[in-house]
Amino acid sequence: MLSPVLLPAASLHTLTRTRSHRVIALRFSRGYAIQAPGAPTLDIFSSQTKWLQKERAAADVQASRDVDYLRDEVASRLCERLLDVNRHFPKVLDLGANACNIARMLTRPSPDSPSSTTRAERLSTLVAAESSQAMLYRDADLPFNQAMEIVRQVLPTSEMLPYEANTFDAVLSSLSLHWINDLPSVLAQVNNVLKPDSPFIGVMLGGDSLFELRTSLQLAELERRGGVSMHTSPLADVRDVGGLLQRAGFHLLTVDVDDIVVDFPNSFALMRDLQAMGESNAVLGREMGAMQRDAMLAAEGIYRELHGNDDGSIPATFRLIYMIGWKEGPNQSKPLPRGSGMISIKDVLEGQTK
Amino acid sequence: MPTKTRPIEKFATAVGKCSAEGAVYGKCIVADYKNVTKDKCLTEFLKLKDCYLAAYKTR
Repeated sequence: MLSPVLLPAASLHTLTRTRSHRVIALRFSRGYAIQAPGAPTLDIFSSQTKWLQKERAAADVQASRDVDYLRDEVASRLCERLLDVNRHFPKVLDLGANACNIARMLTRPSPDSPSSTTRAERLSTLVAAESSQAMLYRDADLPFNQAMEIVRQVLPTSEMLPYEANTFDAVLSSLSLHWINDLPSVLAQVNNVLKPDSPFIGVMLGGDSLFELRTSLQLAELERRGGVSMHTSPLADVRDVGGLLQRAGFHLLTVDVDDIVVDFPNSFALMRDLQAMGESNAVLGREMGAMQRDAMLAAEGIYRELHGNDDGSIPATFRLIYMIGWKEGPNQSKPLPRGSGMISIKDVLEGQTK
Repeated sequence: MPTKTRPIEKFATAVGKCSAEGAVYGKCIVADYKNVTKDKCLTEFLKLKDCYLAAYKTR
């Protein structure tokens, strides 16, 4: 009798098939291990919830305008950065425009040189793209819309840019990138729609934004309920942003941080303002429904004690990360190759101290 | 015309009347905020809650 080892492979298969169905099923169901194209993305925020929050916030026009203080200030600082670039921009995209805060700030004169004309004359067309229609058209009938050409465009999703490559002379984004799930993909798309040698100038909330609220809610829930639930978003940090821009193919990166501290009478006023901005919690897997009153009551006491100001108000920090990246262009200045420096920095510094 | 008060406004006003109790509770937590356990400051919190409930009713 032949030993099974000497049998050809095909007959070995038939042998095993007759013996056990389970073995065969396992062997033939195995496919190739293939890697999905692109990096696997993990959804953190619910874009549906975020859209709903913005629609609801914009439905109450007056309350929504009352809390524009943060977006207007940030948009104004962003516009100053755009005007630092000494050229004319025929077509500019405002990605995640909210209530067109950038457009409104562009139609005002620069605070640095009030005598000069408005900042908008450096632009021809501003395309304001936003997923929430109510938010985008909130201020569509205000006088600033006549001061410059604004094209409003409702995006079906905030993570997909429906534009041709090499369309825009600059892309701006103010306070909306922190709700994007797949930031590398969106930044790569931004890089794609930019013309060569054009800047992307964005600002997002990041780092230790609202750390006071975050810590007091955590302490309150820990003491009251014995566990912590997610009430504030995870945010990108400064060092993440540099890597993200580089990965998206941007050159000549500039990343800087700006803290804006706003004082509120109590923590409920802060939460109400965040809600009116449409910036409520939209993390997937958050606790549904309203927050427990016990936890809010406890958090108010802790916030006041841990972070409160002497005058009885409470501070809320908004950390803004400004990022500037340029799409690669033919005549763009590049860093010199490594080792090509002819002057020793050591000699220069030692010469100064003597 | 009476304006509609949101529940959060009523809540905030009631909590605002109990700042003394709130401060006591806050101090209890902040005194050792790296080691917080469940019901660590239960007595202080119950005082705060009693005050808040009384303030919420009277309004």
